Amino acid sequence: MIETLLQTLLNGAASGGVYALVALGYTLVFSVLGVINFAQGALFSVGGYLTFLLMGGRIGVNGALPGWGLPGGLPFWLALLLAAAGSGLVGLLVERVAFAPLRRRNAEPLLALITSLGAGVVLVNLLQLLMGAEGYAFPHGSDALGGLPDALVIAGARIRTIQLLLLLISAAAVLALSLWLERSRGGRALRAVAEDATTAQLLGIHSEAMVRLAFFLSGALAGLGGGLIGVSVSLPGPYFGIGYGLKGLAVLVLGGLGSVPGAIAGGLLMGLAEALVPSEASGWRDALAFAILFVVLLLRPRGLLGRRTVEKV
Amino acid sequence: MTSAPPPATALSHDRSGSSGPIERRQRGALRLAALLAAGIGALAWLGRSSDPAAKPLTSGPLTLGAAIAFTGNANLYGQDQRMGLTLAERWAQEAGPPARPVVLQLEDGASDEPSAIAAFNLLIRQGVIALIGPTLSQQAFAADPIAQRQGVPVVAPSNTAKGIPEIGHFISRVSAQSSVIAPLSIAEALRRDPAIRRVAVFYAQDDAYSTAEVAIFQKALAARGLTPVTVQRTQLADNDFQTPITSALQLQPQLVVLSVQAVAGGNLIRQLRELGYRGQIVVGNGLNTPNIYPICQRWCDGILIAQAYSPELNTPVNRRFQQLFRQAHGDRPPPQITAQAFAAYQVLFEAIQRLQRQGGLTDVSLGQARANLMAELLSGTYDTPLGPIGFSPEGEVLQDRFYVAEVRMAPGGRDGRFALVREQGLQEGQP
Amino acid sequence: MIDNGLLVQMLIGALLGLSVYLPLAAGQLSLATPAFYAVGGTLAALLSTRWSALGATADGGFPVPSLLLEMALGGLLAGLLALLVGRLVLRLQGIYLAIATIALVEIVRVAILNLPFTGGAVGIFAIPQPFATAAGYLLPALALLAVAGWLCQRLERMPLGRAMAAIRDDELAARCMGIDTTRVKLSAFVLSAVLAGSTGALAAHFLNTWNARQGSFDASITTLAFVILGGSRTWLGPVVGGLLLTALPELLRPVGDVRLVLFGLVILLGPVLAPQGLITPALLERLGGWGLRSATDRKTEEAQP
Repeated sequence: MIETLLQTLLNGAASGGVYALVALGYTLVFSVLGVINFAQGALFSVGGYLTFLLMGGRIGVNGALPGWGLPGGLPFWLALLLAAAGSGLVGLLVERVAFAPLRRRNAEPLLALITSLGAGVVLVNLLQLLMGAEGYAFPHGSDALGGLPDALVIAGARIRTIQLLLLLISAAAVLALSLWLERSRGGRALRAVAEDATTAQLLGIHSEAMVRLAFFLSGALAGLGGGLIGVSVSLPGPYFGIGYGLKGLAVLVLGGLGSVPGAIAGGLLMGLAEALVPSEASGWRDALAFAILFVVLLLRPRGLLGRRTVEKV
Repeated sequence: MTSAPPPATALSHDRSGSSGPIERRQRGALRLAALLAAGIGALAWLGRSSDPAAKPLTSGPLTLGAAIAFTGNANLYGQDQRMGLTLAERWAQEAGPPARPVVLQLEDGASDEPSAIAAFNLLIRQGVIALIGPTLSQQAFAADPIAQRQGVPVVAPSNTAKGIPEIGHFISRVSAQSSVIAPLSIAEALRRDPAIRRVAVFYAQDDAYSTAEVAIFQKALAARGLTPVTVQRTQLADNDFQTPITSALQLQPQLVVLSVQAVAGGNLIRQLRELGYRGQIVVGNGLNTPNIYPICQRWCDGILIAQAYSPELNTPVNRRFQQLFRQAHGDRPPPQITAQAFAAYQVLFEAIQRLQRQGGLTDVSLGQARANLMAELLSGTYDTPLGPIGFSPEGEVLQDRFYVAEVRMAPGGRDGRFALVREQGLQEGQP
Repeated sequence: MIDNGLLVQMLIGALLGLSVYLPLAAGQLSLATPAFYAVGGTLAALLSTRWSALGATADGGFPVPSLLLEMALGGLLAGLLALLVGRLVLRLQGIYLAIATIALVEIVRVAILNLPFTGGAVGIFAIPQPFATAAGYLLPALALLAVAGWLCQRLERMPLGRAMAAIRDDELAARCMGIDTTRVKLSAFVLSAVLAGSTGALAAHFLNTWNARQGSFDASITTLAFVILGGSRTWLGPVVGGLLLTALPELLRPVGDVRLVLFGLVILLGPVLAPQGLITPALLERLGGWGLRSATDRKTEEAQP
């Protein structure tokens, strides 16, 4: 009984950690700009493929350059960090193309939903042209993790080592980010812009720079997530990030838009709820996330930990 | 949301009374609507079904149209099908100038129903003699009726759902239904270990292929007096199976049966092994592709699979197909779906050549030629890489041979092969 | 280049664009259109294949009046669902409403996939045909579009339409003016659902088959793109956007494998280049003013002594 409970908790935490990571990427951008970046799922995919290529993976027969690969091959951890940075840069590019022009024109934020979606469509289809649609596994698979065992047994409950690592790294990334936002000058500046861009500007905080920083960080988070997922379950095709993106969206709103602790709590809650679905009803599992979201929104229209904003008069 | 008209113009409009901004806007809307209606009318007139079927068949090469998924999720299969079709084209040219030259026209049928319909319509209007495609069964249910109504032969290279040939006389397929293939591998697993009592089943619940195949698996199990201890439903997009696997493993299965698509299947096998499952694994036909090797790597070793295509089949046409494939795409065996696409082209090509020699393509209209081709297609037998195949009068493939293979991975765990375990004739194979 | 089949798909696109436009005209960003489209389509697919009283023939024919009945029923069912759900979700604001409606789309999709009578992953197929060719579908699609367009055109002058516009400009102010905002928003939401439901019923026959994949998150965003690129301030914007964006991927076929990259670029750059969309109120005013200036000028001249 305890064993089953522990197993469910582990299962829930394993997927919930990833959801939190995705939701946090959205949260960063939302908190500074008040818009949702629909390209976030595509950035997830970008991170996965970048990690793969940096580790020395070769492009398959259906890619644009069959058999091509980067010379050498980096160890997994280094590749993951570089891929995160690379995805961050792609995130910056998305900001430059899909968000900045709208901001300059003072266009309504609704438009950014569409432009960022367009950016996502372009990214995913470019990936498909470059890499083909086949699945890729990392050059060394889980052997990349060194001599660790495939799975750990904790009091009778089993979890794959890579998933536990994934959870720990997500937790570390989320924690580092929260600390940075709370404590550091850059983080405070970012939050100041999130609170009130005009006042921040008056205080001498360069809000454009902060917006770019938010996009870089959220792109990097997506890249990190994509790379980690890639090691855990391989890369099942250029669309794989989109599914996480959609689930992350539900988590984002569940926790409350723009709230960092909300994103984390929402992610874990969602993962746990899904782990509790019995297998007979697992067909309904994908609806569960949204059903919970639906109910929570009706009870608390701004999410679990969302801030109340003052209605404009 | 601010786009009120600039105040200056608003003022000037207000002065002119009857033509204020709202009136002008409404009048403008009416004018534009009329313009649009006229445009739509013109498009409808220009695009009215100018079905070329009544025109006499020209003497030049015939066009085969293929609507395959080059974009969207189903591109995973579409890209393998494209290889098969282009290889078949090369194969057809090798034998010297044919009685009737054939050119292949590839169109993107994408992964959704409207796109498949649009691609079929486009190809039919261009006057193709026959169609290959679409990639997904769901798309076939949308696009095939259009070809049927216009009397264009369709050979489906990968549709395995129940009811495809029944769409109509002009619809056929070379992709065998799972009902024929699936039970063989179960039989093999039980032959190896007759003591098996506890079976766990996994399948992708939102996949047309898997839901059909798993029903067959369950029937085959029931015929042996086995009821699964658990049936775990997954989704097509799932790749993390921690939850279903751990709950299945709590019931200590002795045999695991999987019916999911390739990448998910590779992941499922790997995660089963990583989480400590050591018993036999039987997988469905969806995993009959070397694309799973890099996913499950050393953990693929030993899984049993029933195949509609065996790369190890030793016939001249299969050897040639293998050679062509290896020349073009490196040293690895072709996936089943590539072989099936090859066969789809091959059966149409050979039927066209026979028909040409019989005179069924001279002095006829395109529509008549299409009808003649369909009759000829169904009446013939074909020696394809899949083995010898023919068609039932409904257009269902009659495949002579099915295979049970065991995956044997090379020591590095990066590459492997489907080692043929058993070959089964039609009579034994079809329950 | 554009055959009748594609033209029908374009008209369906225009209808779905209008369905997204209606709540937006009342300031409500609802992405629920695909859910109602799926409900209407599923109902039509079920009725025409299971209920022989509608008159499906053995050779796959179907009486046109039955099609019209299905479109009415599809609209009705979608409308009822909207009435039920709308009361709950329309309390939400802005992006929260958008996400809640996306949630509705996903729930409906999963329900259609899992319900015991909707054919599971394969869906419902062999849907009988009221018309022998795609050209036949042009008439009901155009008629539905004409009715919807006429309604939208009329709305601008009706109290409901004015109330919607007032809410769109400032909800609080509208409430202060004594407008029953809940009722107005709900009306727009239900109208949108009825339109999507009827369109779904028509589409089910046109597509020959129906499954859970027809109403998805992707469709939510694509239909929103129709409105944004076409222009969200006039009803003709979503119509034009729906027509053009549905045709675009097909017209891009000659460029081959990069066609979806180009399609994505259009969606990406469209709002940047034309933030108001293609069809703006200003454009319509200019169009409405053509040939009029001279007439009014002459009138003023004559009035002068």
